[in-house]
Amino acid sequence: MKIVEVESVGKTYKLSNNDSPSYKNGLKSFFNSESKQVFNALTDVSFSINKGDKLGIIGNNGAGKSTLLKILSRITQPTKGNIYVRGKVASLLEVGTGFHPELSGRENIFLNGAILGMTKNEIKSQFDEIVDFAGPQIAQFLDTPVKRYSSGMYVRLGFAISAHLNPEILIVDEVLAVGDADFQKKSLGKMKEVAAQEKTILFVSHNLTAVQNLCNKTLHLENGKVKHFGETGAILNSYMAENQSRKLNHEFENFNDAPGNEIIRLKKAEIFPQLDPNIDYWTTQNSFTITFDFWSLLKSANLNISLHVFASTGECIFNIGSEIKEFESGIIATKIDIPGNFLNDGNYYISVMVVQDGSKVLYNFENLFEFEIADYRENTSWFGKWPGYVRPNFPINIVQLTKSN
Amino acid sequence: MIKSIKEVIAEKDLLFILAKRDITVRYKQTVLGILWAVIRPVATMFVFIFAFKQIPALSSTNKYPFQLILFSGILVWNYFANSFQAVSNSLLVNSNLISKVYFPRLIIAFSSIAVSLLDLLIGLVVYMILCIYFQYPITFNILYFPLVIIVISFFSIGLGLILGSFSIKYRDILQIIPIVVQYGFFVSPVVFTIDSMLNKSWFIYYLILNPIVGLIEISRYVLLEGYKSINLLQFLITLTSAFLCFIIGITIFNKRENSFVDHL
Repeated sequence: MKIVEVESVGKTYKLSNNDSPSYKNGLKSFFNSESKQVFNALTDVSFSINKGDKLGIIGNNGAGKSTLLKILSRITQPTKGNIYVRGKVASLLEVGTGFHPELSGRENIFLNGAILGMTKNEIKSQFDEIVDFAGPQIAQFLDTPVKRYSSGMYVRLGFAISAHLNPEILIVDEVLAVGDADFQKKSLGKMKEVAAQEKTILFVSHNLTAVQNLCNKTLHLENGKVKHFGETGAILNSYMAENQSRKLNHEFENFNDAPGNEIIRLKKAEIFPQLDPNIDYWTTQNSFTITFDFWSLLKSANLNISLHVFASTGECIFNIGSEIKEFESGIIATKIDIPGNFLNDGNYYISVMVVQDGSKVLYNFENLFEFEIADYRENTSWFGKWPGYVRPNFPINIVQLTKSN
Repeated sequence: MIKSIKEVIAEKDLLFILAKRDITVRYKQTVLGILWAVIRPVATMFVFIFAFKQIPALSSTNKYPFQLILFSGILVWNYFANSFQAVSNSLLVNSNLISKVYFPRLIIAFSSIAVSLLDLLIGLVVYMILCIYFQYPITFNILYFPLVIIVISFFSIGLGLILGSFSIKYRDILQIIPIVVQYGFFVSPVVFTIDSMLNKSWFIYYLILNPIVGLIEISRYVLLEGYKSINLLQFLITLTSAFLCFIIGITIFNKRENSFVDHL
């Protein structure tokens, strides 16, 4: 039985130059409703999921994910089409919806619980568990107004309440992207626990690792339309392959057009990952090859190249240089192999310098490459960002030394 | 319409907890706290006692203590004005809820009258103390007062819903609401009685257009022994136009409810 059905749903917003109608265009638009500009947030979206499905909804900013969630949770109505949702729905579009700053933590548990659709008795019977889940700090300040809470405490209390909802269908929007790593661990763990039950979950996230591990189906939205819908593995594969950011090759036919200076010019630069046969995007396990060819007009010069790899934060992760050799003028080719299981997932960029006599920089090709490496994990229960810039899989020897009974 | 009322009743837990929230928060961080519910109507009464002392003709028209006439009028008017304003503003005040979670939106409107209701009850206690002070009898008629309050509530919710529903898209309405309250005070028999108007030909239209006239008068009838109020037919007219306003309010609200989020 289909528990959620969406049939050619469309959502249109009317745009006016400024949102509140002035008397002039207010009156005009009042009598003549067709003159308004419209914006299609969603166009002809159709899909359906079964009971127990976990649906991940992915897409770039502005793809219509949030609008779709708002329609599914009945906060707003579609302009076109129909939705059928069969069962009790709880939607978590933010943590701590309706918390009142003047009320105490205790009062807010009842308030927020009621807003999210729990009855008074349900909240009462789970009150201790909620406080327990929120942590000892909350328990200590249960009767303090939440305006005195730190933002971390506020989020923890809010999530603790939502974690104890017991709906048939749970709609979640990125609420897991808040809080510190510890808390994210806890909340994702709770999601996993809920996912293991026969619950239906609709989950919007930019955290593709979480989608990969929590969801069996994925909906990929693009500009308000369904781009792909189906099994998570296949959808994520095509999504990543299309969206991985890269500036991977340059090639110049003649010296005059090429970047560089009067003696050094770029001929060809290419970065080439060895992808897995069944994954169409670049993951942490793939090795890659960088080729860098340049023109040199110097006669019998001692040259080498030096390569800097930077993280997106601007920090240099490593720098390697070639040996210094004597070259005649002409084209000089270099090739570097970087192994897989070395760089962690993230965005990187690479600069290449051509150096004379080991110390004199002839030219620095800055940000020659930009690329993104996607996360790759199997059989994991931790979906947060894997820490660090490098991710080697050095073997760790672990044994039991003694046994005690 | 029945359906939307039923939805509200099904979620009564939420209704009560929102009402409780408004009441709890109302007098937080005030020194005098709930005493403000006493101070405001009493202060209004003193202002008008002072004003009318200068116009002997008005203050001597009745055989009842003029203070009681004033206070009962102010009591009912304040309840209407406060609950009407609370309902009309409730959607914008709770916009964070409306845009983040679904529940029958009417609950917000209904729960927002709680604070005014509490103020009214406190005012009623003050009224009874005044009666004792003026040695004026309190009769069993006062037991009908809750029924009158229910009718007033329907009217203020109805009017509040009409203006509140439009205020989401047209914020101009927010400018109109205080004007309605300010002028309404003077075109309703809050600080005067309708004795002199009863025989006027336009009185019937006055009743239809302004149900609060009949509602104040009928309140005085149940609160003040022997008060000469409107007749049964006039009361029924008041009742009809109050309920009509409620029905119109709910209908407009239901129609516009779905687009609230898009204009918040």
